[in-house]
Amino acid sequence: MFAEFKHTLRRLRGQMIGWGIGLALYGLMMVSLFDSIVGIEGFEQLIASYPQEIMAFFGDIMAITTPKGYVDIYYFTYMTFIIGIFATGTCANLLVGDEEKGILDLVLAHPISRSALFMGRLLGFVVATAVILLVGWLSWVIPSGSTSLNLTWIEFLRPFLPLFAVLILFGMLALLLSMLLPASRTAGGLSGGLLVANFLLMGLSNINQDLKSLVKFTPLNYYQGGEAITELNWEWLAGLLAVSLVFALLAWWRFQRRDIRVGGEGGWRIPSFSIGKKRSDTLEAKAS
Amino acid sequence: MPGQLAIQTKGLIKNYGKVRALCGVDLEVRRGEIFGFLGPNGAGKTTTIRCMLDLIRPQGGIIRILGLDPQADPVAVRARVGYLPGELSMESNLKVESQLRYYKDLRGNKIEWGFVRQLAERLDLDLTMPIKNLSKGNKQKVGVVQALMARPELLLMDEPTAGLDPLMQQEVYRLLKEAQADGTTVFFSSHIISEAEAIAERVGIIREGVIVEEAEPSRLISMTMRRVRIRFKHPVDPSPLKNIEGVSLLSQSNGIDITLQVEGEMDGLIKALATFPISDFETEHTSLEEIFLAFYQAGDKEKI
Repeated sequence: MFAEFKHTLRRLRGQMIGWGIGLALYGLMMVSLFDSIVGIEGFEQLIASYPQEIMAFFGDIMAITTPKGYVDIYYFTYMTFIIGIFATGTCANLLVGDEEKGILDLVLAHPISRSALFMGRLLGFVVATAVILLVGWLSWVIPSGSTSLNLTWIEFLRPFLPLFAVLILFGMLALLLSMLLPASRTAGGLSGGLLVANFLLMGLSNINQDLKSLVKFTPLNYYQGGEAITELNWEWLAGLLAVSLVFALLAWWRFQRRDIRVGGEGGWRIPSFSIGKKRSDTLEAKAS
Repeated sequence: MPGQLAIQTKGLIKNYGKVRALCGVDLEVRRGEIFGFLGPNGAGKTTTIRCMLDLIRPQGGIIRILGLDPQADPVAVRARVGYLPGELSMESNLKVESQLRYYKDLRGNKIEWGFVRQLAERLDLDLTMPIKNLSKGNKQKVGVVQALMARPELLLMDEPTAGLDPLMQQEVYRLLKEAQADGTTVFFSSHIISEAEAIAERVGIIREGVIVEEAEPSRLISMTMRRVRIRFKHPVDPSPLKNIEGVSLLSQSNGIDITLQVEGEMDGLIKALATFPISDFETEHTSLEEIFLAFYQAGDKEKI
């Protein structure tokens, strides 16, 4: 398992560097802009003049001039689906991507069990995600001392934990879907789509109260974002991680039992409803 | 007897949806032998091999590899087996050496790196090249090296010389014979009859998911047909050739160019041709499909 874990980290090295640099630059930029943004004269009035629907969609947008609100709105609100691209894309390809390329066939012919392969790759993804978030966290913590963002390192750390949990959850969903759907791209696209849909639903539920009962069943309802700066909801965090674990176990169970495909062999297709056939039948009938 | 078998399958059945890939494969390969597994494309060769490694799960039947059940203990089986897939794919961004070191890690570092270098040298393989820059033949060499580098007890090779030039094919045959001399059992699939002739001690023929014949290659050859094209220096009467056992005349042109069909050994024809003024002589190996045809024709004759 360790060999596979090491190998997965090596393969994700480029992604860790790329995402890490991107997040670090963004974090540094947002920290350095804090004093300038909140210092703009009439900034609060400008925000207050936004349409009510926009204000409601983003939640407590008036809190943007406070350190907590600033970090929440400019970072944690949408980092779920920004870094979610990495999480869903990576997990959808974690095993099935190699299977589609025919690489998994030879790897699994070596003395490594399917469980060890699964666990090694999964741990590699979890550690890579943690490393990316660690870089993101450092990009806020290190320069914040020189600004009026008076948050401690632990206050910065707390919201990264639910973000980590949400990324793992959608990553595991992508992994599970990759085991069930015919192509890794379908799994990545579907899980990414669900993440974006959940984000939009959360915003819309602030406008339409009828949606509140629906969002209770979605993961982002239990994502605190910047709210965790003051107090972390451990139950929600544990709940998100528990659901991730369920998805991971289901994916593992499926991986244990499935045939390893080569070049798409054994995949299933959405059945066609023979529209073309009927048309050709009609043409044949016409011809006769 | 089971203890002396490297591979044993009984009634192996594998379906892909409605498609029956294996319809009860019975196979026995003795320890230490080189066994050629022949069949046309789509006959079930790769499916059989992949079942042996628990990469795919059969719906029925029994498999024992070196006495072990691959479904019950796949890791123990794979630890003793070297595998070369028919469709070889590797991580294109890695260099050959990194790829091989990864496979070495998967085997718990129990591989002597000097032996890997030795194999690479013999196959003229550059370990510093990125996989993505390799030709099909060179990728195949990486596959051969990774299969052999663990000095496994059993080699499962799906078309081991695919994409290799004739010189490298010969080198691979030598490597396989050396592995056999060290006690390794070699099981390879092919759809090329000459490959089986070159190294196999026994062959099994699979067709439409069923083993239709298990025999020594010489027996296979004796049952097969060849086409022989002869050009004489001046027109001759070919009728004496037609009287040789197993020889029939397919075509002739002005008594100079003739095409014969020879069933079984060539000895009689060669001796008879010694008295003719020959300008050119060409033989053509029959394809596996033609061999199958020969088998079926023989079978039909027996029935009649």
